[in-house]
Amino acid sequence: MQENTSELDLKDRINLIETMIAEGRRKTESWGWTFVLWGLAYYVAIAWSYLGQPALAWPITMIAASILTGVLASRAASKKPETTIGRSMMAIWIGMGVSIFLLMVTLSVSGRMEIHVGIAIVGAMLGTANATSSIILRWKMQFACAVVWWACMIAAQFVSATQAGILFLVALFFCQIVFGIYGMIRESQRNRAVAARQGASHA
Amino acid sequence: MPELPELNPVIHGKLRLALLSLLSSVEEAEFTWLRSKTGSTDGNLGAQLLKLEEAGYVAVEKKFVQRKPQTLYRMTELGREALTEYVQALKQLLGAAIGA
Repeated sequence: MQENTSELDLKDRINLIETMIAEGRRKTESWGWTFVLWGLAYYVAIAWSYLGQPALAWPITMIAASILTGVLASRAASKKPETTIGRSMMAIWIGMGVSIFLLMVTLSVSGRMEIHVGIAIVGAMLGTANATSSIILRWKMQFACAVVWWACMIAAQFVSATQAGILFLVALFFCQIVFGIYGMIRESQRNRAVAARQGASHA
Repeated sequence: MPELPELNPVIHGKLRLALLSLLSSVEEAEFTWLRSKTGSTDGNLGAQLLKLEEAGYVAVEKKFVQRKPQTLYRMTELGREALTEYVQALKQLLGAAIGA
């Protein structure tokens, strides 16, 4: 068999190994939608609080968003292979999500929500989660989100409560909604490319 | 002239090689995921995975998730060693072919 193995066949085997390993390592997780979902959830909670029911707004919105995320994520996860990177990402975001959830609910129910401190804590946590995740994934765009959150956290401490609130809403828009939509577009482009490649390989 | 290495026939099959390469980059993978990545048919994929399982290169786990059957495949340590040896042998052969 060995003597009949051509150089082309050997190269073909090496290419196959490289392609398959790259396929396995490719980020199969699709999490763009969670950024958009949680961005919208924060907007709903903030708007509802502003209308005068902060004690109800945060718990209800956060619980609803958590349930929705859990249901949608469990459906998506059943079709994916388990990877260490995937589990690391999940650990970071679940840890951060639970912390923010408990913090916002407790502050709003106790009536001790102070906007400057609230933004400082949330900004620091979101900055940490985005930075950690971007370093693991080597994703510069996500690191930019971490920088935006850190900048928001710092700037909010030197302005009025209204201005701090506006800063938070702007950071939320760019780092949750815009970044989430960008992630979804990238995922859809990647899926189309994979489908095209698979179609070509079967042709 | 140094003796050229043998290529492991269990791994040399294209689909089996693709499967081991895929499994080497993930902790575990579902049958359906392997099928979508290789573009293989259920029957062929099952047969090739069985050969890898019989050789001790992959371990299989069957379970029910939300009342649906799920088959998970994981590369064993023996499979990882075999793939590494295969790649080394392949590189050696390629080097010899280019040098010839």
